[in-house]
Amino acid sequence: MRYQETGQVHMDFHRTTNGTIAYLREAYGQEFLDEVFERTACDVYRSIRDSLMLGDPEPLVEHWRHFFDREGGDYTIERDGDTITMTVHRCPAIAYLESRGIEIDPAFCRQTVVVNNALAAGTPFTIPTEVQGGGRCVQTIRRAKP
Amino acid sequence: MIPTDHFVRFYNEVFKALEARGHDHLVAYWRALGTLQTTELAESFRTGGLQAAFDYWSRIRDEENCEADLELTDDYLEFRMHRCPSLSKVLDNDAAPSPFYCDHCMGWIEPVMEACGLYAVLDMESRSEPHCVFRVYADKAKAEAFERQAALPSRPYADAKE
Repeated sequence: MRYQETGQVHMDFHRTTNGTIAYLREAYGQEFLDEVFERTACDVYRSIRDSLMLGDPEPLVEHWRHFFDREGGDYTIERDGDTITMTVHRCPAIAYLESRGIEIDPAFCRQTVVVNNALAAGTPFTIPTEVQGGGRCVQTIRRAKP
Repeated sequence: MIPTDHFVRFYNEVFKALEARGHDHLVAYWRALGTLQTTELAESFRTGGLQAAFDYWSRIRDEENCEADLELTDDYLEFRMHRCPSLSKVLDNDAAPSPFYCDHCMGWIEPVMEACGLYAVLDMESRSEPHCVFRVYADKAKAEAFERQAALPSRPYADAKE
């Protein structure tokens, strides 16, 4: 895995992410916000995307496990053939913001939706994200039909 | 979810995207972050002074895994960063670093200081090596004297006006 941080977790960065999303959305619009997430997916997470290009989704699954575990997220990962589904029962980012009484920007979950879409673009996979609200979502790595 | 561990790499992408629209867009974003942080910190610093600032940066040093020495004197708080975790991650990155990455610190700190009546100076020392010296003073003249000695002072708002 390209990035595998250890040590303490500074959860308050989720507050700054939320503030940044609100600022970019209000000042520049959602299209610009999405462009920044797409760059993050394609450039920062280049190694995960390269693996997906080669047909290997495991680095993304490992990434999900490592960072959701570090942040105390409540999730399950299930496999059914080529399909891998992560069901997030309690997103640690949303849980942190709610615990601090911070208003969550309506575009907060774009970080997940757009990053997943951008990681999958041009690879043999689709990675749709179903945002269910209340810190719940379903992220599915599915091999695209030829 | 972008993990908190990767926030600074996302942040770096924000900086580059805004800089591409013009440096004033990046500076305006730092100002907005400063406003956000002012809400969190200014009252505590205003009432607690240097001790409150020392307590805050002590917590940050631990939570953000900084390799740093922290000292509180009668005149100032000094945060001497030997290995900045933020710039280190941005350099250990498959994406390119923003050339103004280090300026974001004073970008958010300066508005907080303005709101609480303290004076911060950041000697970045280098924009490509993860070490710096940051001091907070209660006395403006002493802060200005320290800034004059700095090898590479960060002045994001003054520089933006020049």
